[in-house]
Amino acid sequence: MNIDHKGVAKFLSMLAFASLLLVLGGQAIGEEEYDEDTYGPKAPIIFTAPVKAVIFTHKIHTMDAGLSCDSCHDTFFEMEIGAAEKKDDFTMQSLYDGKYCGGCHDGQTAFASNTRCTVCHIGVKGFDRLQGGPKTDAHGGGHH
Amino acid sequence: MRISDLEKLKNEGVENLPSEERRRFLKFGLSVTGVFLSGSVLSLAAARNVHGAVEVLPPQAQKFPYSPHYSMVIRQNRCVDCERCKEACAKTNHVPSYGYRTTILEMERESGPGQTERIFMPVLCNHCNRPPCVRVCPTKATFKDKKTGIVVMDYKKCIGCKTCMAACPYNARYFKEENRAVDKCNFCFDTRLSKGETQTACAAACPADVRVFGDLSDTNSRVYKLIHAPEKVAWVLRPETGALPNIYYMND
Repeated sequence: MNIDHKGVAKFLSMLAFASLLLVLGGQAIGEEEYDEDTYGPKAPIIFTAPVKAVIFTHKIHTMDAGLSCDSCHDTFFEMEIGAAEKKDDFTMQSLYDGKYCGGCHDGQTAFASNTRCTVCHIGVKGFDRLQGGPKTDAHGGGHH
Repeated sequence: MRISDLEKLKNEGVENLPSEERRRFLKFGLSVTGVFLSGSVLSLAAARNVHGAVEVLPPQAQKFPYSPHYSMVIRQNRCVDCERCKEACAKTNHVPSYGYRTTILEMERESGPGQTERIFMPVLCNHCNRPPCVRVCPTKATFKDKKTGIVVMDYKKCIGCKTCMAACPYNARYFKEENRAVDKCNFCFDTRLSKGETQTACAAACPADVRVFGDLSDTNSRVYKLIHAPEKVAWVLRPETGALPNIYYMND
């Protein structure tokens, strides 16, 4: 019994230590990461025009995929917030023509713009979630 | 086995079948209840009139129960939930904020190891050929339009018992306080089709051409062509209810 107890205690303390290491290690990895000056704004960009809504995350493209700022700025996108949405040609057709996201999302460099729609298109539902829950006045919800 | 023989069999349900058996059953079920593969249209007539599956006859337009036989093909993977269809529907048909005639459902599906895929699924009244809502209505306030097959409401006859809402396999009905009656999609029959428009408000508003609306009995219509394209797989929702819906889904 005694031995058993000791064994269990030892095992538990080892487990605790291991998990502590994991947590600390994880934090260290997590902390060393996101520098907005290097990788761009941390908050996702949400486009709501011409359709609601499209999400763009700098992290995925810069830190994860290894692109630099001048990979897209200012060839495909101006840095100013909302600049692309103001333009009339910010459409899927433009993407197919190699503009905006279509500069890379052409099926060669990255997945083609006319595939995997919902990777970027998060919809009204995704938009509402990011705003903190669905709006009550939206024509939606349930029938109840 | 002939359809006429099969019809005499008792439906045992699919709940207690092992998956292999179930898969085979469903495969058969598809041919008589409305999901069909490789361009055969089999949901459009009651099962007793279906010969296509057995005798490999091409579906015949004159057998469509209605003319025009209104139908909608929803090309699901094109939907990005912009909800312009909902807005257009609400505006056109004065749908209050607490209800809907059409809406978009959202699902998250595993598409690979550690990967998920978001799917948006537009839903609306399926204008079933055998509508459970019509069967249960005690006052005949809801019925199939004899010409077009649209499941319509006569608000004046509706007593608000909501039995139709419970019966509908597609949750496509809501109680409209303003009318003191149940309201539902009628393919914009009163607001658009009867005024010469050929598209429903939702189909016209869709920027991604998800909703294709038209006459399934017209061999030149887009819906007919999409449904009959041999390379396409189309499906309907909840075929097991035997309601024979007229809203088809496919991926583009």
